[in-house]
Amino acid sequence: MKQTKKVKVILVIIASIISLIFIFPLFWMFFTSFKGMAESISSARLLPRNWTTGNFVELFTVDAASAPIMRWLFNTAFISIGGTALVIITNTLAAYSIARLNLPAKRLFMFIIVASMTVPGIVIVFPRYFNFRDMGLLDTFAPLILPYAASTLGVFLIYSFLRNFPRDLEEAAYIDGANQLQILRHVVFPSIKPVVATLSVITFILIYNDFLWPLLVTNSAEMRTVTVGIANLVQGANFVNPGKMMASTLIATVPALLIFIFANRYFVKGVNSTGLK
Amino acid sequence: MKISKTVSSLMFLPFLLFFILFWMIPFLYGLYVSFHSWTVSGGNGGFVGLDNYIRILSPGNMYHDSFMNALGNTLYFVVISLVPLVVFALLLALLIENIPGKLKVFFRTVFFISYAVSVTAVSAIFKWLFTGNGGYINNVLQGFGLDSIGWLNNQPYAWIAVLAATVWWTIGYNMILFVNALDEVDDSLYEAASLDGANAWQRFWNVTFPSIKGVFVFVTIITVIASFNLYGQTLLITEGGPARSTMSLTMIIQNTIFSQNNLGMGSAMAILMGIIMVFITLVQFLIGFRKDDNA
Repeated sequence: MKQTKKVKVILVIIASIISLIFIFPLFWMFFTSFKGMAESISSARLLPRNWTTGNFVELFTVDAASAPIMRWLFNTAFISIGGTALVIITNTLAAYSIARLNLPAKRLFMFIIVASMTVPGIVIVFPRYFNFRDMGLLDTFAPLILPYAASTLGVFLIYSFLRNFPRDLEEAAYIDGANQLQILRHVVFPSIKPVVATLSVITFILIYNDFLWPLLVTNSAEMRTVTVGIANLVQGANFVNPGKMMASTLIATVPALLIFIFANRYFVKGVNSTGLK
Repeated sequence: MKISKTVSSLMFLPFLLFFILFWMIPFLYGLYVSFHSWTVSGGNGGFVGLDNYIRILSPGNMYHDSFMNALGNTLYFVVISLVPLVVFALLLALLIENIPGKLKVFFRTVFFISYAVSVTAVSAIFKWLFTGNGGYINNVLQGFGLDSIGWLNNQPYAWIAVLAATVWWTIGYNMILFVNALDEVDDSLYEAASLDGANAWQRFWNVTFPSIKGVFVFVTIITVIASFNLYGQTLLITEGGPARSTMSLTMIIQNTIFSQNNLGMGSAMAILMGIIMVFITLVQFLIGFRKDDNA
């Protein structure tokens, strides 16, 4: 027993060292954002010698027009929440229809859904950009939200879950005279809540993190998402100042980190049921 | 239950509409364009059959050269990222599994937290850590009296920077998959193995690994797919350099379409990339789930 205690202490020490490596880039981002330009490009110290909030002040005054970070955060929040809600509604209805209702050609639909999941996204993303361009919808919220609802993953997940779920309750409700929508809302939905929670978190992170697609379909500074906005800063003239760069990265990252810590258990439970990265 | 076909179809309809508009039509459109000479500015220049594909696959033109260069780079990244992202992730998971209660949750969160950072923020951080002139790592090296390294302008250092950023960003995700799988392993199997006098390695190899093999194959497959889609890190950290050595397939497809104004060729490249990815996934699947395994 003493032996295992010793081993456990060693393991905790190893894990602590690895933790420091993991947390270091975030600490570096945080502290660098409070350094002045001269210090941030020359100092080997992690902590600022002279703390300054100048980078943040500049971001919200001089750079407010070219880099409206709060607007980007709003855009990202809006499309992530809107896109996730849309995915959940369409996918739940579709999966319920395939699994439980009298949908014509349901086997064919299920086959197409599964087959489409094997096609890598790269095949779709560029033609879809030109579809939106031809419709004159670039630089609007439409391409930033609507295409995510074509995701088949959720239909597949909810369908798989429902297929292994007893339908006694639904039949009882049906005999009591409830219609399909009522059954879906009051009987089915409560039982598929875990898989819906998982799907929500996965979809939210997917939309929030998407880079190539929002980069293609947005042009103007005020339509960018946080991800695209930060990329523009990295590629832009402001990049010469790491302190300011990290200040904008910090503002962009903190909300996601907070959501992540809050929803951590859903992530942890959720990732195994999907193949998404 | 007798349910009307109309009600059933109406419930399916919203999804079907989105799927047709934003998946089926782009898919067919991309396929159609790839068989045509098609520019972004001028539109359809006529049916060319398999010409775009043939030019990409036969030597002696710039599309072949850029595609093959990017394919080579991308495959190289897939290979060098596989061990860190899969094996190290499993080691982290095993480490966490052997840490008691509350500390386990703490370390699990710390190792996974970088997944909440977006790819561009990751790139911003790592670009400034590795930048040659004024980057933090070089500042530290100089602080120790060492020579600074032109990380982003020389190989293998540029790949090291991209790899470091990618591993930091995504290893936690794979680790969580392994942690969840390890939680499912039946404890009585370990007890039986301990009674048989098995040491730690034997317990891992004979009990743990066979139990999580399915997840191991799954993690390998999704990691290869993710690494194949390499884009943001090399676009922002190395800008495809030095000397185009970190140009990834996605970057080359985007360049072909928007910089070379060749939508037909770019679409053919995207479809070829898709075919290669499906093929590699299939091979991994067949190897990973062979029936004649002695597990």
